[in-house]
Amino acid sequence: MILYACALGLCLAAALLALLPPRAITVMAEVITALAGVVAAVAGVRATLGHGWSAWLPGLLPLGGLRLALDPLGGLFTAITGAVTVCAAIHGIGSGAARPARAVMPLFVAALLLVPAADSVSTFLFGWELMAMTSLLLVAAEHRDRPSVRKAALWYAVMTHLGLVTIMCGLCYLAAGATGDGFDQLRAAELSPAARDVIFLATLAGFAAKAGIVPLHVWLPRAYPAAPGHVSPLMSGAMVNMGVYGVVRVGLDLLRGGPVWWWWIVLALGALSALYGVLHAAMATDLKRLLGYSSTENMGLVLIGVGAAGFFAADGAGPLAALALTAALLHVVNHAAFKTLLFQAAGSVQRATGTRDLDALGGLRTRMPYTTALFAVGALCASALPPGNGFVSEWLLLQSLIHALPASGVAGAVTMPLAVGAIALTAGLAVATFVKAFGVGFLARPRSPGAERAVESPRTAVCGTALAAAACLLLALDPALVLPALTEAVTRVIPAGRPVTGEVTLRLSAITGSISPVLIALALAGAVAAVLSLVRVVAARRPRRPARLWDCGAGPVSARMEYTATSFAEPLQRVFVDALQPESAIDVTAVKESAYLVQRVRFRARVPDRVERRLYEPVLAAAERLGTQARRLADGSVHRYLSYGFYALTGVLIVLAVIS
Amino acid sequence: MAEPPMERSMSPGKPELSGSVQIRHVDAGSCNGCEVEIASVFGPVYDAERYGARLVASPRHADALLVTGPVTRNMEMALRRTYEAVPEPRMVIALGDCARDCGVFAGAYGVVGAVGDVVPVDVEVSGCPPPPEAIIEALRGMTGR
Repeated sequence: MILYACALGLCLAAALLALLPPRAITVMAEVITALAGVVAAVAGVRATLGHGWSAWLPGLLPLGGLRLALDPLGGLFTAITGAVTVCAAIHGIGSGAARPARAVMPLFVAALLLVPAADSVSTFLFGWELMAMTSLLLVAAEHRDRPSVRKAALWYAVMTHLGLVTIMCGLCYLAAGATGDGFDQLRAAELSPAARDVIFLATLAGFAAKAGIVPLHVWLPRAYPAAPGHVSPLMSGAMVNMGVYGVVRVGLDLLRGGPVWWWWIVLALGALSALYGVLHAAMATDLKRLLGYSSTENMGLVLIGVGAAGFFAADGAGPLAALALTAALLHVVNHAAFKTLLFQAAGSVQRATGTRDLDALGGLRTRMPYTTALFAVGALCASALPPGNGFVSEWLLLQSLIHALPASGVAGAVTMPLAVGAIALTAGLAVATFVKAFGVGFLARPRSPGAERAVESPRTAVCGTALAAAACLLLALDPALVLPALTEAVTRVIPAGRPVTGEVTLRLSAITGSISPVLIALALAGAVAAVLSLVRVVAARRPRRPARLWDCGAGPVSARMEYTATSFAEPLQRVFVDALQPESAIDVTAVKESAYLVQRVRFRARVPDRVERRLYEPVLAAAERLGTQARRLADGSVHRYLSYGFYALTGVLIVLAVIS
Repeated sequence: MAEPPMERSMSPGKPELSGSVQIRHVDAGSCNGCEVEIASVFGPVYDAERYGARLVASPRHADALLVTGPVTRNMEMALRRTYEAVPEPRMVIALGDCARDCGVFAGAYGVVGAVGDVVPVDVEVSGCPPPPEAIIEALRGMTGR
């Protein structure tokens, strides 16, 4: 309680300090934000270990007052937010972000801390709106430098507020059926099944928009590139998690689970997002856009776990449900760790080279050795290969789905293998995505003057990134470290004992299965060492001869001969041509004298977001048409406006008279 | 086509190649007459692959270079680099009269010299162009099969 209040207070202090002009104080604000992150992480961990608390501050907010409580579930998300804040704040210390952005960032952190601690509808909505507003300000912070930022901010503002509206409708409907707006009263509410359905679907839409779930993901690949370098880790590592928190809190906790079909929807949305997200990540050439789509993918995987947990819980298979939810929450933790790392490294790259375009990067291995090594760690973790941390949570998730067959009926027997297939395909494509991001972005030779001039980031930025990498490695080697917290959080909503036990070897209690990440890592390290020494021994038999790099006997090898991100993804694009529908155009300009003599050939290829093209653009076009038509009503005549007012008022009065 | 008997006078092949030779073809300035014959050597009629000789796409994969034509000025550096790119032990076959002594192009303004003037030559095949049988014989001399 005191720790949590300290964290909020430190955030506010940092926000005020950041407004002051001297540079030393601005740096102090970042340090205080990092400190707030540490305190919040400790407060969250304490809450997950059973030191929960609740508080009611009636005077602080109108209506119900500020009602806060930190239970293990909220504590887990608070701890994640705190940890991400520490890394992001340290990474941001040396960055030349504008003062408003610096001042808003601690407020954003405070809002992120407020959401999982909210214990009433009004507090939750207040925190949610604060989170939306502060993050919007941060996304729009660099609108003077880049025009694309404005469009991204507009998309984000509309999507996040539409989400807020549906969440508000759902939660207010829920509160109307209960005796008050406190979460305890909501849990005790007796509602008709239809009302519960409406509430769940409305809140799911809002939370899915925040988590970047298809088809509400469109803001995400726009907002991340637009946000300043030290903000996007916070958005992707901490903010999107709130969508998952909302689904778990409302669906599994406040509504105490529901019919099986709710969770089918969640599972289907998750699988769709995972596949769609990773496909577009594999196609993306903008590093941050790639990471944004990867967030959609990972949140999709998490929602698969949440959906499976709800499905099993509704089916009566408690231990399996607990396992699936544990896997989902572990993936939230893992995703926060590696995505913070990757976004920070991407921010460093953007600052050093001035570009995020993979086709213009390359050659950073020698110029930014630390950032390259750290990004490699993140890429390994994100591609869900051992010994990365993503592997452990995806393995747990697969175990819970594979072993679902005997427990659930026909529906489960059809759904679960499909979900397993979706996860498998996602994992495979994620490997291709991150091989591309790392190989094209960091290895080989620089493809642009910007990449050639790159220098290593300041020490603070490397430290912040290294901290996230250390968290990734720790989670990868010893996931048992966070298991007690996860178990407490899961038991809060699905009481079914401890789904995963063990220290070095994780053992699943509901089904037969065990995994030992440390031993896997050791075995892999041993295998790599064996192969390397074998090569050394074999190579030592033959004399070594330095030779020129083979360039077909012609001139020197240039950066233009390298694989680009586009060409690396091209085979995949061919395979998934039906799903992606890439667009390409060839303009041939002929010389004036003859149509047969070509002056210039221009080739353009892009992979548009199909959901955006098919779903959003028609709606936007219709809205614009409607707006143009409606403009005719306002032709500037005062008489006409007065008559509008008169007729509207009399119309309302007549309607009221008829009704009453 | 029946397998021609191997003459006693032929060498038993290069022992380090173990009966298999991977060949990278380099056109150093040929009129493409030799290339036509090479194509027929590796075609279905003569089928040099049954004696262990195989054309590969990169000098990095090759044991031997099969060089045709006189070495022109444009191809001199490329030939040297290709030779450098072949892992050791490496061999060079000079194929055709032009490759051996510049043939009709001797003294032409764009010609640097014969293949032997640029890189060390191990095997020579004469003829303008050399008949496929002669090429096969030279290759079999290397593979020993």
